[in-house]
Amino acid sequence: MEIYLPIAEMSVHWLVVLGMGGAVGFLSGMFGVGGGFLLTPLLMFYGIPPSVAVATTASHITASSTAGALAQWRHRAVDFKMGGIMIAGGLVGSFAGVWLFGILRRAGQIELLVSGGYVILLGTVGGLMLNESVRTLTAERSGITTRKTRHHNWIHGLPLKVRFRESRLFISVIPPVVIGFFVGVLSSLMGVGGGFVLVPAMIYLLRMPTKIVMGTSLFQIVFVAAASTILHSVNDFTVDIVLAFILIIGGAVGAQFGVRAAARLRGEQLRLLMAILVLAVGARLFYGLVAPPSDPFSVAVGMP
Amino acid sequence: MKTRFALVIAALLAACSPAQGEDLVSGLSQDVIQITSNYTGTDIVVFGAIENRSVLAPNPADIVVLVRGPDVDMTVRKKERVAGIWLNNHGVVMEGVPAFYFLASTRPLNEIASKATLARYGIALENLEPRADSARTAAIAEPYVRALVRHKTLEGLYNENIAGVEFLSPALFRTRVPVPASVVRGQYNAQVFLFRDGAVVSAQSTPLFVDQTGLERRLFNFAHLQPLSYGIFTVLMATLLGWASSFFFRRNA
Repeated sequence: MEIYLPIAEMSVHWLVVLGMGGAVGFLSGMFGVGGGFLLTPLLMFYGIPPSVAVATTASHITASSTAGALAQWRHRAVDFKMGGIMIAGGLVGSFAGVWLFGILRRAGQIELLVSGGYVILLGTVGGLMLNESVRTLTAERSGITTRKTRHHNWIHGLPLKVRFRESRLFISVIPPVVIGFFVGVLSSLMGVGGGFVLVPAMIYLLRMPTKIVMGTSLFQIVFVAAASTILHSVNDFTVDIVLAFILIIGGAVGAQFGVRAAARLRGEQLRLLMAILVLAVGARLFYGLVAPPSDPFSVAVGMP
Repeated sequence: MKTRFALVIAALLAACSPAQGEDLVSGLSQDVIQITSNYTGTDIVVFGAIENRSVLAPNPADIVVLVRGPDVDMTVRKKERVAGIWLNNHGVVMEGVPAFYFLASTRPLNEIASKATLARYGIALENLEPRADSARTAAIAEPYVRALVRHKTLEGLYNENIAGVEFLSPALFRTRVPVPASVVRGQYNAQVFLFRDGAVVSAQSTPLFVDQTGLERRLFNFAHLQPLSYGIFTVLMATLLGWASSFFFRRNA
């Protein structure tokens, strides 16, 4: 059954779109990630214009992170003060991101930006995850356990210190604002939530307790993804509500199955699988950039 | 006596100049195409008849059917290899290019009329030209123009169908115009030309409208006319669905 997308102005098979939402939802439930970094490339492979893929994924992330943040909130695992400060940075970041997105779109370079950005992003994240999971798996096998040392880093030398009770931290507001800003730019440029950047940054840079990191990052992502959605709607007219609706429904159902599947697999194996998946998507996009195009010409409606 | 003479003269005149009085009547199978949620493309039929057809004419009449979509600006870009990566260059801008172009005729165009005549009526795709101030000479722009036609032909938006006009009787003709799913909204024009001996004897033009309808139209207008409300509405929908899924599945678990 074909369905016509009013904003993308093309017709798609709604079951395929539902399936894509479901598959990404499954993976995000399984690995505990937002899945935006998989959904945007997937939509592009299906033929959705990159600008519509990025902007529509932002609305999908709004929905999935709302569900995630609510679940974490029930477990009291959200630091609202830390999250709020990151949101402030994130909103400025998404303004900057959407502004840059518009310039590149008019210059005809949005495909390069999205593909190139994803190659770097997925390559880095996938490489780090692969490295870590392989090391943990081999370390387990040889019986070595690593001990983490907790020491002060340069972040503690910055001014404007504030106390964060839930995080049990007394640090400057500058790092959370900067991290929030960076994730905001990333979110609106690439159509990702940015959890895979936020979570490591909160654990390793801010040294927040692991149990509240997930909830706080989801809380921040809800607002930044919502802001990106609205800004893309106003600036680029590229949010397709019909596409978003189908993806959200598929994603919500898929995520439930993903959570159940995750219970049957071990954490390290999961992370290895995830790393391979991330690298595969990155490799596919990289191939698209370096392989000689079958037709070097492309046609776009409108003037640059 | 005098009137009878006049009648005979008139009859003789009519017989001697066969083209005179020949006229066209044409119509469309539908004059509005509605894009609905399950729209996957459609066919329209352009049909017509030659009135007062002169049986004595030595050559057969030729029909050319031209359906043109709304004029838009298009940018054609070419990928070039920079440091191992294929990048889009600045490209060539073309102004007033038809978004949809369908042409059908009874014979190859060069047998129907001269290039100059065809160009005067905007018949044949080779009459597309890039914008003058895109700072490229026609020679450089030429492959870009060909790429545009090639792309649009692949998408089914450009179509030159020689011998696509079918005669049902010596006077009655029709042609089928495939309209793909990717057509843009706007006013289209279906023109029918009657050629005889390399010149246009009669022409008729009928407008055709392509429009989104129902929910699709409302969503499109909402997104373009009130983008801020549309964005907020989308976010509300997303958060509600997110909340609903967490609520629903928590009770299930």
